[in-house]
Amino acid sequence: MPFYSIHKKDFQYFISKLSKTYHAFYLRGEDSGFAWKNDSRRRLFWQEYGGALEGLVSGAVRAQDPLKQFFFASKEKVSHNFRGLEDKQERPLLLIGAKNCDLTGLMITDSVFMEGDFKDPFYSKRRNGAFIIGFDCSEPIETCFCRALGINPFPEKNFDMSIADIGDVFLVEAVSEKAKNYVSEYKNYFKEATEEQLKKRQDRRSEASQAVDANVKKNQVPVKDQLAGIMDKGFDSKVWEEEIQTCVECGCCNVVCPTCHCFFLSDAKKANDNIRYKVWDACLYKDFAVVAGGANPRKHLAQRLRNRYDKKFAYFPEVLGMIACTGCGRCIVGCPAKIDIRRILKNLIIEALA
Amino acid sequence: MNPETNNPYNPSQAELISVIEESAAIKTFVFRNTDGGFSFATGQFVELYVPGIGEAPFTPSSNPAVKEQFEISIMKVGKVTGVLHALEKGALLGIRGPFGKGYPLDVFKGKEVYIIGGGVGLAPLRSLIFSLLNEKNDYKKIVLRYGARTPKDIIYKKLLEEWKATSGIDIKLTVDVVDAGWTGNRGVVTTILDKNDVAIANAVAVVCGPPIMMKFATFKLIELGFRDDQIYLSMEKNMSCGFGKCGHCRVGTLYCCKDGPVLTYDRIKNAKEIWD
Repeated sequence: MPFYSIHKKDFQYFISKLSKTYHAFYLRGEDSGFAWKNDSRRRLFWQEYGGALEGLVSGAVRAQDPLKQFFFASKEKVSHNFRGLEDKQERPLLLIGAKNCDLTGLMITDSVFMEGDFKDPFYSKRRNGAFIIGFDCSEPIETCFCRALGINPFPEKNFDMSIADIGDVFLVEAVSEKAKNYVSEYKNYFKEATEEQLKKRQDRRSEASQAVDANVKKNQVPVKDQLAGIMDKGFDSKVWEEEIQTCVECGCCNVVCPTCHCFFLSDAKKANDNIRYKVWDACLYKDFAVVAGGANPRKHLAQRLRNRYDKKFAYFPEVLGMIACTGCGRCIVGCPAKIDIRRILKNLIIEALA
Repeated sequence: MNPETNNPYNPSQAELISVIEESAAIKTFVFRNTDGGFSFATGQFVELYVPGIGEAPFTPSSNPAVKEQFEISIMKVGKVTGVLHALEKGALLGIRGPFGKGYPLDVFKGKEVYIIGGGVGLAPLRSLIFSLLNEKNDYKKIVLRYGARTPKDIIYKKLLEEWKATSGIDIKLTVDVVDAGWTGNRGVVTTILDKNDVAIANAVAVVCGPPIMMKFATFKLIELGFRDDQIYLSMEKNMSCGFGKCGHCRVGTLYCCKDGPVLTYDRIKNAKEIWD
């Protein structure tokens, strides 16, 4: 059985051991300690490990910043004077506290960067080398709607080891070979889990799921099956015009999204150095689709907002069989214009049924 | 380039060995890839890099059978092309690619190939025509219909004369705005498309030019009796990475860069905003 319990103190030692091999990051609250209240003003961020898991949050909800940043940096040097930099040495990543919305988002970014005739060597290397420890969500916040999209608030895929905080100890599920090997290597820390501990995890998972379901219901978020074909039906919807009235084209929805993967290549010249960067782009920006000579196929902001939804709710379902939204709610929290993906989806459905 | 392990964002070096003026706004740049061999299939594109400035996608206009050097005809329209037009031979540039899917010559074999070009769109088509002429007997007939804004904007004038005289290609030209010396057709390229140009049942049509020209040429071809899947279009979208990662050139469920740039009309007709 791949289930174990580990004392929280021993988990700290375990991470301290692993951090000799890995470049570690963990989920940290704005203030230290394990305490976490369901308050969307208090946020979690990814913190670089500096020898202790100070302020580790062992459940709660996803970080404010998306997991994709570790594999696909917001700005990265990819070429220097005709030299590719794919061989640069980096320690592999240890990511502690990944949540299922982000882990599911990796399905999208993995397919983009690691499949096809050409692979992205930077993404692939980090992704393949990483050791990911997922945590169950214990306190989904109001903007969480993963369950509407068939995603649960606990790790289901793309992780090596998952952790559920069940009170005095962590319940550990070792999934990958790497994880199983670590469990045997550090067997003093890990004890076989009891039925009672497993049941505790199950109960907490049910509670978290119910909390998300309540959000979904309260905000009338359409569920996955209702969203099939929604972009065809909603292409000419008035929703797009209505929603852009407050949009300031900041691109926040793009950068915080766990599945947005668009980037541009930017060239810089410094003395004798010609450097190329790969930089996150945002399809809400005016010049996103501009071609040589300045023609812009998506001149209007409403077209660009619609394009973002088309990519997530039409393109990826068609080519990959999955919606490219994982219900993390970051775009709702981050948008200064209060544009709410749940409201857009709801209104598209209402219009489609009318 | 090894697509598994190498870095597809990193250009390899290409030396500019000559520059040919084609019209007031269009020049042909001749390159030698100094990092070793470079080969492409006709219709595929490359990203041409000006060190430290930027890069842009172009389809080579030369004969793919010539491996030592390759040519790209470029119209001056923006930042990168502006810098390119100021370059002289000896300049060291970069290229990435080739990327995408070119013209499916296997499909064209045994058929009549109806080629319709507009303006600088003749550049990729020149490479296609060279390729067809490499194995001329494999194609039943080659017909070229080309439109430019004015007689001065017609590119590859000498070559067109040569092809008219000796290649057996059926060529007709037209211009929108005539000048004193012009005795040919006046009007946009759709005015010189005729249902008797090719035997449509056994033909393919290949269209390359500005979006507006491709749109009306496509509609005209359909009116003449072509099926959507017989019409090959060279789509122009913003292609930054060139291989389906950066997300800019999406057309419906396809990426112009990896699934195109040559796409048959049936594959894109239901996508929105394709001509914009």
